[in-house]
Amino acid sequence: MYRLLFLQFLRSRAVLASLFLILVLGGISIGIGHQFLSQKKTAINQVEKYQQGHIQRNVDLHKDDLGLLMYYVKFAFINRPNNLAGVSMGQSDINPNVQRITIKNLEGQRYDNDLTNPMNLQSGNLDLSFVLIYLFPLLIIVFTFNLLSEETETGTWRLVSIQTTSKVRYLLIKLSVRVLLIYSALLLLLASAKIILSIALDMNYLMMALLAFFYVAFWFALCFFIISFKRDSGFNALLLLSIWLVLLILLPAGINAYVTNKYPVPEALSTMISQRDGYHTKWDTDKVATLKKFYEHYPQFKEFGYPIEGFNWTWYYAMQQMGDDESAEDTRAFRQKMTERETTSKQLSAFLPNMHLQLAFNDLAGTSLSEHLHFLDATGDFHEELRLFFYPKIFKELSGDTIDWTKFDPKYWNDATDNKGNIEYIWPLAIATIIMLAGCIVISRRFH
Amino acid sequence: MIITNNLTKKYSEHIALDKLKLVVEEGEIYCLLGANGAGKTTTINLLLGFLKPTSGRAMINGLNVGDNPKATKQFLAYIPENLMLYPSLTAVENLDYFSGIAGKKLTTKELRQFLEEAGLQSNAFTKRISTFSKGMRQKVGIAIALAKDAKVLLLDEPTSGLDPKASNEFGQLLQKLRSRGVATLMATHDLFRAKEVATHIGIMKNGVLMKELVAKDISLSVLEQAYLDTMNYKESVL
Repeated sequence: MYRLLFLQFLRSRAVLASLFLILVLGGISIGIGHQFLSQKKTAINQVEKYQQGHIQRNVDLHKDDLGLLMYYVKFAFINRPNNLAGVSMGQSDINPNVQRITIKNLEGQRYDNDLTNPMNLQSGNLDLSFVLIYLFPLLIIVFTFNLLSEETETGTWRLVSIQTTSKVRYLLIKLSVRVLLIYSALLLLLASAKIILSIALDMNYLMMALLAFFYVAFWFALCFFIISFKRDSGFNALLLLSIWLVLLILLPAGINAYVTNKYPVPEALSTMISQRDGYHTKWDTDKVATLKKFYEHYPQFKEFGYPIEGFNWTWYYAMQQMGDDESAEDTRAFRQKMTERETTSKQLSAFLPNMHLQLAFNDLAGTSLSEHLHFLDATGDFHEELRLFFYPKIFKELSGDTIDWTKFDPKYWNDATDNKGNIEYIWPLAIATIIMLAGCIVISRRFH
Repeated sequence: MIITNNLTKKYSEHIALDKLKLVVEEGEIYCLLGANGAGKTTTINLLLGFLKPTSGRAMINGLNVGDNPKATKQFLAYIPENLMLYPSLTAVENLDYFSGIAGKKLTTKELRQFLEEAGLQSNAFTKRISTFSKGMRQKVGIAIALAKDAKVLLLDEPTSGLDPKASNEFGQLLQKLRSRGVATLMATHDLFRAKEVATHIGIMKNGVLMKELVAKDISLSVLEQAYLDTMNYKESVL
């Protein structure tokens, strides 16, 4: 029976073409993910290679003036991408994984980014998460919208309903053929991604696979619910495509507009202005006042006094420090609002399976907004460590030779929040699926 | 065995079937004749359980169709005017498919046997149904009934559109089923075929069974006259 159901289904050219298309698109998306990871890894490798050479070149040039040397030397702080980022790129295509910073004003460097072709950003990335979230539901719709109506429209349903003692069971068996094919395609793509992208078989990967399993189950349940109303193929197709459009395009766009309006971030501009003003206006400000503020922040450096004659590095780095100090409030507000945006988005996504899946995938892959905010926080800590290490040496006017530069290899960020195989990701999808299945059970009584 | 007892179907004010009393014993072929809208297909749909009667009962093998829809299906086979099968499957596969739905697991040998019994040429067994004529599809329909070992066969104008040879072959198949004790109810417009295959003939008009005849007792011309008389019978007299 199953063999014949498969035969009957697979002898349709449209079915074969759809399956072929989704596998090709899935393959392309994995290829794009691979290319994306390669670019990131190449950039990191180059930074690793470049750092010591860069430091050495500057030491050779400015070793007698540590203040000047530290003006130029950049230290790499790296967020090594999880290979799952090749599956779900999230915001990592615009957020850098490598920060190369000097000990100068942090806010002026924190948001420096690689040059990216805006046309590429506009079209977005075809990663596997896109194929799964946007294209798999379409395939499920194509495979199921006429599960019943095709039989009534071609006239086989009367014979089927005389032959079978349970029409629901018959439809479920027919549906199971589609379910098996879709899950096979999904497993094939997930397994290919694991091999091609060298993804570790860890909780994050397994959770991603489990979430994908539930997401596909949700769409099957939704489609079965709609077709159980026994309407014609045209109606089913139109309704299911409308639902797809609302769930995947309109509602996420609406939520994005709502969140953006609810949490506007004028601080993005004001932070930049206040940090620039905080630093630049100090050129015309009394040096003592600048240094006093600096020592309020770092009382441990008071011993270096108030040198006001001519140019000196203590005053210069105090000026730089003021850029950060005077924009600190805006920075904090910006950080707070970005967090609130993501929190609200996550709360609302609990009611929207596709959005929940996207955000969960980004979390698992380490490509979410919160992940990047944590990385920026860690960059701040790294910057502070550098300042605390170099400030006293600069203020003492030590030579560059007194420092063991070999210790300054690129530093990698260890994400302390990397406990993402969390079972809580499952609940919204599982509940949505269960609700749809309950709806199916209720509506399928119409067949008796 | 088929029994209808005062079987009535109304659509608001319109009476599609009015107190039909009918008995088809095992090994009998009962042909229902009548113009379009006479109530033939409604009768079959009520016996199949596709429609719910307004009143009265439709019984298959002693079971009320309305009360035992699943149980009565086990005894039933049905061939509509235009039997639709899965065009992408072959004859053998279609038979296997529909038998599978009915819970029958048949070997390839058995499947071929049933198709052969139904009169399908062996070179068509493995051809896709999309290449089949209507007559060939009807034969696969008979094979499905044979494979199901149905006790009751309901036919809704099965010979309509068949060429004389195919129609004759179909009649012979019905006789074969009759000899196995199958109770057959066939709705048809074809007086000749009805006289040829039926044991009993009923003539319907406006949802009412007007006349019942025993086929062997009458000639084709008598049947034709009875049919025309019934059709010309005035509404007011009814």
